[in-house]
Amino acid sequence: MDKQTFLLWAERNARRIGVKKGQVIKAFEKEMMAQAGSDAPFEIPDTMHVNMRYSYGGQSRFFREILENKRLMGTRCGTCGKVFCPPRSHCPVCYEQTAWIELKGTGKLLSYTTVYFATSSYIKRVPYIVAYIKLDGADTAILSNVEMKDIKKAQVGMEVKVMFRKQRDGRITDIYFKEAQ
Amino acid sequence: MRKVGIVGIGTTQFRSRWIEKTYFELAFDAVKSALADAGITRDRIDCVVYGIYNDFFERQFQPDLFVHDYLGMAPKPAIRVSTGGATGGSAISAGFAQIASGLYDVCLVAGVEKSADCFDYETGKSSPEVLKAISYTADMTYEQPTGRTAAGSFALTTIAHREKYGNPTELQMAKVSVKNHTNALLNPVAQSPIALTVDDVMKSPMIAYPFKRYDNCLYSEGSAVLILASEDVARTLKKPPVWIKGIGAALDWAVIGNRQDLYSFESSRIAAKKAYTMAGIHDPVEEIDLAELHDAFTGTELIAYEDCFFCNEGAGGRLIDEGVVMRDGKLPVNVSGGLIGCGHAVGATGIMQANEIVMHLRDEAGRRQIKNAKTGLVQSIGGPGAAWTVCLVLERDEK
Repeated sequence: MDKQTFLLWAERNARRIGVKKGQVIKAFEKEMMAQAGSDAPFEIPDTMHVNMRYSYGGQSRFFREILENKRLMGTRCGTCGKVFCPPRSHCPVCYEQTAWIELKGTGKLLSYTTVYFATSSYIKRVPYIVAYIKLDGADTAILSNVEMKDIKKAQVGMEVKVMFRKQRDGRITDIYFKEAQ
Repeated sequence: MRKVGIVGIGTTQFRSRWIEKTYFELAFDAVKSALADAGITRDRIDCVVYGIYNDFFERQFQPDLFVHDYLGMAPKPAIRVSTGGATGGSAISAGFAQIASGLYDVCLVAGVEKSADCFDYETGKSSPEVLKAISYTADMTYEQPTGRTAAGSFALTTIAHREKYGNPTELQMAKVSVKNHTNALLNPVAQSPIALTVDDVMKSPMIAYPFKRYDNCLYSEGSAVLILASEDVARTLKKPPVWIKGIGAALDWAVIGNRQDLYSFESSRIAAKKAYTMAGIHDPVEEIDLAELHDAFTGTELIAYEDCFFCNEGAGGRLIDEGVVMRDGKLPVNVSGGLIGCGHAVGATGIMQANEIVMHLRDEAGRRQIKNAKTGLVQSIGGPGAAWTVCLVLERDEK
């Protein structure tokens, strides 16, 4: 491609996949260098993208209570008494419908990791802690972020409490955890 | 159940990027060499199992359709298997069932994966976008939005294991990294043959605590293929068959918080036990000559020693300290370099591991040959916290 054709090509493609023109130019400089008729690999900018309207189905109340009432819910199996958080509409052992219960929002850290290298959606947030937390009164553990001043002080067994973000949008990240004291 | 033999193998190089090949072209190369290795043409193939993990990696949903087309396998029956990092192991297991059941006599098992076409324009790098494509394999309702990465899910288990048993230590993990990178120096298809020191590993940047850069495998592109045949057919072909003597598989709770314990991989323990029972193995360290274990992370390999019953739970670190798992040790682990040294071309990985064992059992492994190897173990794991495990025991006939 000559330079003029390349720049127009980069601009059209950048618009098509929703990134900056300069980023496409930088990533595809080799394209401009390759001669027509050559066997050099030919690359194109591309994306795979689908918009959704996802239904939480039987889990809906969990997310709505967080969004509207800052309330953390679990579910309880009436047959075996097991309490699930994250909630399940059915007990996986008894196969019976569960009932909603409110949880206190305190719990213990079962294990954790600190992420220093993340996916492109999260790379600006690093480092951050991801942990399994067993809430008081629950029998299963939920994965969530733990925010603390000194992230190196995270440890297994640490007592934590649920926090609700000021701006909530109906996703699981509306909640996170902090040290209990 | 009929006896099933591996009669042909083919593996392309594992590379960070195969810019000059599409996924279907990569598969073609490995299939062509596997057919040549078996001394048969594609007419002899009765059915195909494709192992391909991530549709984003190939930029194609149902990529098996177009591999099948490109290989000229139409109209033979085919299925595609996708079980995360365990895809290769599961594909072999599915192929085994096709032959053992008596339904078909010759089955092609083809694993292939791209990944580095995923590209993050903002950082100008592939890795963050590769990780994003993988992240959609995590539970989208409760877990993926927290930003936990694939390494993160195994790091959580490693931390829990360390809390309970005091290991794996940073040093033990570094030793595994050095072992696997060094083993890869002898493997011509490996992506990361590096003469590393423990110090290099310890000083490398943190990725997901406690895993540092050199504790992680790298994503690869490549293809690995094997051909399975019934005993009748296998005995008529040119190479001595390697028999699949044992298969064990399990799929544990994928939401790790639902598990009883976080410090071991229950799926791996169950899969290993089942494979050993089927193969009649009672003392793995005595009866297995070499093992290819799924070392996506160094900590995971150390836990795998325990999960495959090479030692008691909590004692995995000792096997690297005492040199048991070194290439000159009692039970060499990942002589190929494993995922850390050879690379992780997901759908192809489990088949690459099996092909490595086959080469040793046929005495074809060249400079990295383990002498007189008769029995080998393959462990293929995948999904959040090793939800999936497939274990295979491979064995040759007495000479």
